[in-house]
Amino acid sequence: MQYYVPHPASEALLTSASNWMIIIGGFALILGLVSLIQLHMNRIQRNVEGWGYSGVLFAAMFVMVIAGILAGGENLDSERELTGYGWTYSYAMVPLQGTMFSLLAFFVASAAYRAFRARTKEAALLLVAAILMMWGRVPLGEYLWAFSGDIAQWILNVINSSVRRAILIGVSLGMIALSIKIIFGIERMYLGGKKE
Amino acid sequence: MKPSNHSIVSMMLTIDRRYIFVLIALATLIPLLNPINLPIVISPEVRAVYDHMESLPEGAVFLLSMDFDPASKPEVYPQAISLLRHAFKKNMKVIGMTLVVTGTGMAEEVIATVAEDMGKINGIDYTFLGWRPGASAVILSMGQDLAGTFPQDHYGTPIDELFVMEHVKTLRDVDYAVSLAAGFPGIDEWYIYGKDKYQFELGGGSTAVMAPGLYPRLRGGQINGLIGGLRGAAEYEKLLDQSGKAMAGMDAQSATHFVIIVLVILCNVFYAISRQQKRGWRRT
Amino acid sequence: MCKRIVSFVFTVVVMFLSPLASVVVQAQLQPPQDFRVMDTPNDGGRSLTLGWRASTFDGPSLQYRVLIAMAVEGPYQEVAAFSNNQHFQKDTKSPWWAHLFEQNNHRFDLKSGGQLMLSDGTPYWVKLVIDNGMDSSETQPLSATSFPNFFNWAQANNLLLLILFTVAVLFSILRARKNPHGFLRRIEGLDAVEEAIGRATEMGKPILYLTGSAAMDNPSTIAATVVLSEVAKKVSAYEAGLIVPHRDPIVLAICQEITKEAYTQTGHPDAYKTEMNFYITDDQFSYTAAVQGIMLRERPAAIFMLGYYYAESLLLAETGHEAGAIQIAGTDADHQLPFFFIACDYTLMGEELYAASAYLSREPVMVGTLRAQDMGKAVLLGALILGVAISTIGEIFQTETLMYVAQVFYDFK
Repeated sequence: MQYYVPHPASEALLTSASNWMIIIGGFALILGLVSLIQLHMNRIQRNVEGWGYSGVLFAAMFVMVIAGILAGGENLDSERELTGYGWTYSYAMVPLQGTMFSLLAFFVASAAYRAFRARTKEAALLLVAAILMMWGRVPLGEYLWAFSGDIAQWILNVINSSVRRAILIGVSLGMIALSIKIIFGIERMYLGGKKE
Repeated sequence: MKPSNHSIVSMMLTIDRRYIFVLIALATLIPLLNPINLPIVISPEVRAVYDHMESLPEGAVFLLSMDFDPASKPEVYPQAISLLRHAFKKNMKVIGMTLVVTGTGMAEEVIATVAEDMGKINGIDYTFLGWRPGASAVILSMGQDLAGTFPQDHYGTPIDELFVMEHVKTLRDVDYAVSLAAGFPGIDEWYIYGKDKYQFELGGGSTAVMAPGLYPRLRGGQINGLIGGLRGAAEYEKLLDQSGKAMAGMDAQSATHFVIIVLVILCNVFYAISRQQKRGWRRT
Repeated sequence: MCKRIVSFVFTVVVMFLSPLASVVVQAQLQPPQDFRVMDTPNDGGRSLTLGWRASTFDGPSLQYRVLIAMAVEGPYQEVAAFSNNQHFQKDTKSPWWAHLFEQNNHRFDLKSGGQLMLSDGTPYWVKLVIDNGMDSSETQPLSATSFPNFFNWAQANNLLLLILFTVAVLFSILRARKNPHGFLRRIEGLDAVEEAIGRATEMGKPILYLTGSAAMDNPSTIAATVVLSEVAKKVSAYEAGLIVPHRDPIVLAICQEITKEAYTQTGHPDAYKTEMNFYITDDQFSYTAAVQGIMLRERPAAIFMLGYYYAESLLLAETGHEAGAIQIAGTDADHQLPFFFIACDYTLMGEELYAASAYLSREPVMVGTLRAQDMGKAVLLGALILGVAISTIGEIFQTETLMYVAQVFYDFK
């Protein structure tokens, strides 16, 4: 509706709907927390294998919540020193999340080694494109072969963009069709109901 | 000889991935410890962001939305440093914010640190609005009434009292906005709910994984430029003529890319040998 | 002869003086012609649009200034100044059916922002001054009131296409009800669902089902939950185990209902356990680490990764591969498709995710929708070809006439 109706009333409606979603999301978080606590309490009670990890989860939750309450949710205090919450954020959460993300580099390498095999003509094409992209997107590649940067740029701008647009057209039509089914009440399975 | 050759080939094809992990770790570590500072070529999409920043006059309003979490810090944080340095160097009015709650601490840290380095004062030269829940609803709401969305800055000062926000009432008053994103909410949301509705110029910065997906937006003119991953950050550092963490990381990225290229080529050599061996056995 | 000389001299003098005369005339600047002020159409208000005829002597040396006042007598405040070769109707991105002025006429939108605050419903008086540095001339002040509009006519073509597509969807569904045996292209990934569940049953291992990282307002999450219903039915029929960890509590609540309903429909309500669906966290990498842990501890025989994914896609898919599971992924997150493609056994690309429920259930209503999607795609493909042809012909013959047709398919944001 927002797309066709520029009137501020439609913007207000969307903002209001979004605010309701935030409120519902906040209450739904209680559902999630209950689910999480139930699951891990059960694990501890039944002494299932790896129940200690559930203990670690509760301990970490407790430490973070207490640190957050004591620091009033602030990372820095009035003297711009790290609070307890800020400390756990900077020295636990940031490096842990960074570690998880950096695993991607390792997994990309192992997946590429396993998957980029010239089994068919299409796979060979994928392999060549991947090598050209990896070559042309780093300074060493451009240093060794100056033209590689232009090739990588061309692949990104032309082939990549057109293929993605084609996928997006299909996805968008699928989304619109699904939305129409939901609006007309034809699709109700996502509510746990049966199809019409 | 045949069986031993075959066993080597099959062993190489099904090599334990931990050996690959060690190679990648070495390819990252060694260049970081012994950098050779390879020359960096500037791509048009990064230059577009730089040129647009250069074209803005002194006092222009620059909004930097740091929509990334700690996981993306290594790639996107250097982009934030460079953009902030550029904006402060040009004496722009800088508004910092984030749509990702876990990124609030980092966003505050980067804007406060760079501002201090450049001798800028909070409230006069820049402000950090912090985080509000709602993602795209926040952008939409900022387009209608910025003070209504962020009545106070991150430190509790009413934004009506901030000199830097004097003529900034809605997103329409922003001259240039850049979203540094690592997922949702990010550049797509800033375009759909921000630029498209409130008509301001928008640029983007993202992780390398996300960057190729943003090229259709770039080609369609929906964003005027794109800083992609650590490489993009390094290019921006070079444009500013300031060596930072991104440029230092480029050698490591070059080495890891070439390790993967060599691994892929080797894997295909072994694969070709194994196929030839299988064909040979079928004939005999 | 003398007359001839006098006539020649006179002609020469006239020839030389006539341009000077025109300069003298030009020096006395005429006010802009056909000046009009109105509310900016198709917008959210707080904006006025000015239009006037482009004069023959427009150029960068001349300047226009826009003045605004609350009353006809003033005081007038200057709110914009620009050179004469700027701001034309042709510069604005609007289709031919929403043009206010002729293409070569000037158009300037006066929008609220910065130091100019316009209020809806308040009449403003606007006049335009033309200035060449030495002399200036101004129009009579004109009044206009801004107000918000209820419909953006510039996007009427888009609405028309949407209505046509909606009709096509509903028509296809009706047709599919009458003739339920429609053809469906083979999708390998979905054919493998049965095989994956059978394998899990044989091995006595559970099935791990992920609904992605997006919330319930994302269509791909809805599609993933619809497929979960079909998978849960098969899982309950085979009496295999099911693990569904979540990132969003609302998705968790909905999936609990879906799974329960699926088990009830197949006549195994007792086999359903609430703990099949559980919440982990909404934090991307904490969730990823937890699911990786489940993959390596439980060693599921089959892993379904449907819905919207970000950078966690490869981390999950590689760990799943390491766990030895048969993996079926499906996402409309185009930037994550390559990762699933290289690390999973089967990948549903883009719209195949939306087709999955139709494919698995073979319900006429669902299959009918796919038919409409195909029709939509055919129309868009035709529009693409037509657009390319029209643009090319227009470029070759230097004509914009054909653009009237092409603009029907444009997006005017």
